[in-house]
Amino acid sequence: MSAGASDTLLAGARARPALREQRRRLAIEQIGVLGGQVAAGIGNLAFSLVMARLLAPGSFAALASFGALYLLLNMPMTSLTAAASLHPALDAKWRRVALLAGVGAALLGVALAGPLSSLLALSPALIAMLALAAPGAGPLALARGRLFAARRHRTLIASLLIEPAGRLALGLILVPSIGAGGGAAAIVLAGYLSLLTARREGRVHAGGELGAVASSGAGVAVAFLLLAVIQNQDVVLANAVLGRGAAGEFAVVSTLGGITAFTTMTVPMVLLARIRESHGQALGVALWVAAGLGAAIVCVFATAPQFFTEMLFGSRYEPAGSIAGAYLLAMALLGVTRVLAAQLAARRSRSLVAGLLLLPAALQAWLIADAAGSPGAVVGATLAGSALATLGTGGAVALEAPWARALYARAVGALTSRTALALVGTAALALGLRLLVTRGLWIDEATSVSQAQMSFHGMIENLRTSDVHPPLYFALLWLDVHAFGDGELAVRLPSILAGLALIPVVYLAAKDIYDRKAGLMAALLVAIAPQTVWYSQEARMYALFMLFSVLAVWAQVRVLRRGEPRDWVLYGLAAAALIWNQYFGVLVIGAGQIAFAVEMWRRPGPQRRALAIGWALTAAGLLLLIAPLIPYTYHQFVVNQASGRGFGGTPSQAGEAVAREGHPGVYAFLANVVWSIWGYHSNATMVSLVALWPLTMLFSLFLLGRRFGRASWLVALCALLPMAMLFLLGQEKSDLFDMRYFIGAVPLCMLLAARGLTASRLRPVLALLLAASLLYGLYDQQLNSSNPRRYDFRGAVHVIQRSLRRGDVVLYSPSYLSEVIRYYGPHLRMRSLGAGTAAKGAPLTRGAPAVFVVASYFEQRSIAEATRRELSVLERRRRLVRTLKLSNVHVWELR
Amino acid sequence: MRTEADPRLMPADWDCVPRGRSVPRRMAPMLLASVIASAWYFGWLLSPARVGDPLLYGLLLAAEAFNLTQALGFWWTCVGARSRPARSSLPCMPSVDVLVPVYDEPSEIVEATLAAAVGLRGAHVSAWLLDDGDSDEMRALAERLGAGYIAREQHDGAKAGNINCALAYTSGEFVAIFDSDHVADPAFLEHTLGHFGDERVAFVQTPQYYANHRQGGVAAASWAQQALFFGPIARGKDARGAMFCCGTNVVFRRTALSSVGGFPTNSLTEDFELSISLHERGWRSAYVDRVLAHGVGPEDMASYVSQQMRWARGCLSAIPRVLRARLPLRLRVQYLLSTMYFLSGWTLLIYMALPAVRIITGAQPLAVASASQFLMHFAPYYALALGSVAVAGAGSYTFAAFSLGAACFWVQVLAGLRTLLRRPARFVVTAKQGGGSWQPLAVWPALAVCAAMLSVSLYGLDSRPGAGTLNSIAFATLHATVLGSGAAAALRPRLRRPPALPRRTAAA
Repeated sequence: MSAGASDTLLAGARARPALREQRRRLAIEQIGVLGGQVAAGIGNLAFSLVMARLLAPGSFAALASFGALYLLLNMPMTSLTAAASLHPALDAKWRRVALLAGVGAALLGVALAGPLSSLLALSPALIAMLALAAPGAGPLALARGRLFAARRHRTLIASLLIEPAGRLALGLILVPSIGAGGGAAAIVLAGYLSLLTARREGRVHAGGELGAVASSGAGVAVAFLLLAVIQNQDVVLANAVLGRGAAGEFAVVSTLGGITAFTTMTVPMVLLARIRESHGQALGVALWVAAGLGAAIVCVFATAPQFFTEMLFGSRYEPAGSIAGAYLLAMALLGVTRVLAAQLAARRSRSLVAGLLLLPAALQAWLIADAAGSPGAVVGATLAGSALATLGTGGAVALEAPWARALYARAVGALTSRTALALVGTAALALGLRLLVTRGLWIDEATSVSQAQMSFHGMIENLRTSDVHPPLYFALLWLDVHAFGDGELAVRLPSILAGLALIPVVYLAAKDIYDRKAGLMAALLVAIAPQTVWYSQEARMYALFMLFSVLAVWAQVRVLRRGEPRDWVLYGLAAAALIWNQYFGVLVIGAGQIAFAVEMWRRPGPQRRALAIGWALTAAGLLLLIAPLIPYTYHQFVVNQASGRGFGGTPSQAGEAVAREGHPGVYAFLANVVWSIWGYHSNATMVSLVALWPLTMLFSLFLLGRRFGRASWLVALCALLPMAMLFLLGQEKSDLFDMRYFIGAVPLCMLLAARGLTASRLRPVLALLLAASLLYGLYDQQLNSSNPRRYDFRGAVHVIQRSLRRGDVVLYSPSYLSEVIRYYGPHLRMRSLGAGTAAKGAPLTRGAPAVFVVASYFEQRSIAEATRRELSVLERRRRLVRTLKLSNVHVWELR
Repeated sequence: MRTEADPRLMPADWDCVPRGRSVPRRMAPMLLASVIASAWYFGWLLSPARVGDPLLYGLLLAAEAFNLTQALGFWWTCVGARSRPARSSLPCMPSVDVLVPVYDEPSEIVEATLAAAVGLRGAHVSAWLLDDGDSDEMRALAERLGAGYIAREQHDGAKAGNINCALAYTSGEFVAIFDSDHVADPAFLEHTLGHFGDERVAFVQTPQYYANHRQGGVAAASWAQQALFFGPIARGKDARGAMFCCGTNVVFRRTALSSVGGFPTNSLTEDFELSISLHERGWRSAYVDRVLAHGVGPEDMASYVSQQMRWARGCLSAIPRVLRARLPLRLRVQYLLSTMYFLSGWTLLIYMALPAVRIITGAQPLAVASASQFLMHFAPYYALALGSVAVAGAGSYTFAAFSLGAACFWVQVLAGLRTLLRRPARFVVTAKQGGGSWQPLAVWPALAVCAAMLSVSLYGLDSRPGAGTLNSIAFATLHATVLGSGAAAALRPRLRRPPALPRRTAAA
């Protein structure tokens, strides 16, 4: 070893303890200031709690709204704190301007109290009170920033603590006599008390060019201004768009979220004060503190949300607990974003930071305005905005790291390659095909949507007591519905995104398992395969099923080839996600276990031991991950068995003529094979296609002599074994043998097909033939109205609505159409056409000018007969005006 | 001077015993499943309720029964496949006459063969060139390479007569025979002679490896057929003591040959009949599953058809001989399985006729409304039968091999008819170098049937087919595709690539 090299190593060895010591000091500093902030936060919470108990919900909502506006007023000022933390000289430079601007704002606020009152749904007195707070806000923020920069932490903490103490003391005096106005006055006066405390310290010297200082200080100020908007605009907008009760509920959520936001507020300030001297250590420490604290709060709250909400705000606000967790998460993310934004703003251009934060703020505002309805939707909007802000700033900060720069350069190189262009083109094609939805929702989708419209807790309870599926997909749909509403496209969004994500995942998997050509071919096949398109459009869990299946199988191939820890982790996570998404994912994982067993049997001693250890650890991890699901599943099983529905029973599907013969036979098996590759088609087409089964003999002969690698065997096993298992189970319970439950086989088969095609000498011809047949299958599936899986409830309800008059009644059969009819016609007078409804002359139809009957599932004889029986009774009293037959849906109009 | 690389001088890329695989261990569960699946299928098929058109049903049943017999025989043979343990050479250095019969083959083919014969180790070797073409070039070649040269005045008995003639001129303790295109490994005798330590062993056979299979086409497909035979089937036959002589790459004990009067000259497959005679007299056979000679297979369709016709005629005409033979039942069944394989073409003819009859007349062998049930019973049987071929052959048996065999179904039909009618046959040497790839006349019956299948399919499609007709159309398409794929080797443009075997060219 050379002398230079050994010197470098020695220097490195000496530097490590120094770095550790630096980090330790930074952490102590952060935690010390944070302690003061937490104490202040607890004080503020105590003030809110007292106010919640002293005031009626409406008044408390008004005070919370005032508090939020006060925060909104102070939040921009937090940007001044941040700027002064970076450059303490700005305190002197900007204080006068801040004061004058505050006075001007106060005068303006008082003058416009009337119009602002109606705009913000607050009393003019509260608006005036808010205006009076304005002159002190700027100087207080600058003074605190100066204290951060000078590390005068005792004074700083005193200034932080005096504010809640003052609020409480003054509030207890003023609120009983003046009400919400008293609380507001206490808040304002406490702010001035804090200012006096902060200004107690003398002048702080600071160096640097004042012009440059002002410039980067302004960047920091802008960043924190936008963060303040993201944090607070929701409560203001919610107050305007929600009803009073819902606004009160959101005020509670906002207050809870404020804890998290407030707690982490000082972290970026301490960072900014250290940013020029710490060489990245301060950023790491600040991120750990902000993220750790946020995560801790979220986790603690998530253990018993209802309990905490009820304990803090009383039982009347208990429902808010179900959505508060998500809001706390949003605020925790904002805490992290503040640190990231501080780092960015201090080091990079203002426009970048502004852009990265402006977009989430706009998104959040748009989502709140668009999803006016429930507090949950507002929470979803804030979570979306916060997450986007974290991702944007996090990405920008990460790009500063050397490894990230190298990765970025590689990514740019890769993205401009022909492969990337082909992949992007394929993804664009896939997105286009998935967005071209040619059908309305059917009953399963409508049921999912109605479940997702419940409170989160309510939805989970509903799933647990009346459904047969695990909750992962529904949780995502819940977030989606609460963020983007329940429009058709919105409810399909999770599936569309999962179906789109399938393209790069399949590409990467096939590239990793085989080669680049196979990857591109597999991506193309998955993009156009009828079933991947169909289920990427369906608001159910099957697109995720496909995605997680590919991920799990791919991870298992990596595990068997390399067995690195990250491969095992990916496998465990994908397997857990698969099971949390759909119980039948167990079959895919089970098939994989056979491959593990075979490999363990084949491998020599040491390799076998390593595989066995990895497998055992992952299996234990997987069991831990799915353990919470076990009581949930057991409860579902018990409830379903007790109710006589049986576990796994779902409303049966059309296409029975081919697919079912009582118990599924070989033809049913073949029909499912055809479906899985070429999509759903009319019964007549399916009968013809299935009759072509001798061609599978030809296919099997083609396979003679072709060698399959172990990866291909694994992929084939995971694709085919679930199908075979369900076929056998279907002999006992015919509903179980349904294409959807082994939908994971579709992308896996495409992966194998891609391998077969790219390894063949007849590659162009075979690829063209397969692609053409898939496209034709897709065309027929999407556009042929005889497709047995297409249900035109949307068309049926639209037809009814066009002829609907006041008092008309809609009857539907069977009873489980209620949700889909309600989805498309929420205002219709409707009821189920149950047995005897018509005969009894049900009060609902009596006096109605017209009765519309909507019926479906006529391939089930019992439903068809019952519906016709009831119709004939109706026809004795009313005149049948017209009959309509849409895709699998019948409509009768009787007057 | 520069010569093209001779594929026979390259290392073999095939192992009789698949690496890391135990065929019997894999075959045993497959065999069990296959027997159950066969019982499941035939139990269903034999029910009187299945009878549709009685004649067609009878034909289908006959074809299926024949194929089941062949399948059972295949499974029975392969499940016992094993490798014969290597034996050390005989204690004393034996004398071996190495015979290379030729008949107008190109000298560049024979040269490498004879040179390799001269260079064999492990015995006192005398190599002999048995020239039935009376060629001076061959005589000069033998002299140049230090081999003996024998030419007959009477050219009767074809290859068998040629060898018998040489047996009279030579006196070695053992006799090795190589076709003119089979280049022996120098260690050939070292690996084979040890097995004569058992005094009852009459001959030791080794694989007939086609070194030109890498060039694809007919050579590759015919090699894939050979690989299945010289892999699991030959190893299984050896385990059952029923390996027969294949005419080349074989060593005989002279006393054994003398005991049966040498090679029979009245047969197209003299090696096969010789084996029966030896087994009848209580001699044993051995098979060394190791490539010890590199030959060339037929390179074009005409050569392949000629070879198959000779084998089919020879084996089919040997059926009465097998039936009459005084052999243990085990050996008799093994011989019958080998000879009756050449009746497979008849079953293919039946399978092709059934969908055509169904499309044209509507008559079908099975009762209507049993399509799903048929599939339920047939699919496992078919899948396991195909799977067992794939497993036994360890991937060596390919679609090309299958389709080439199918495209020559008519050869077996014709051979069967000629044998039945006792039409005379003559020994034709399989061409050692391809005459070209454009040989539609060599497969015209297959092309005609393929066209008929397609025509019938189009006819069926034209008549607004129901599911049943579509099913028959799919069968017809299946047959047409298989026949077309097999016959395609005869429809390629004329060869442009250099031939597989060396030709002397100008110096570069």
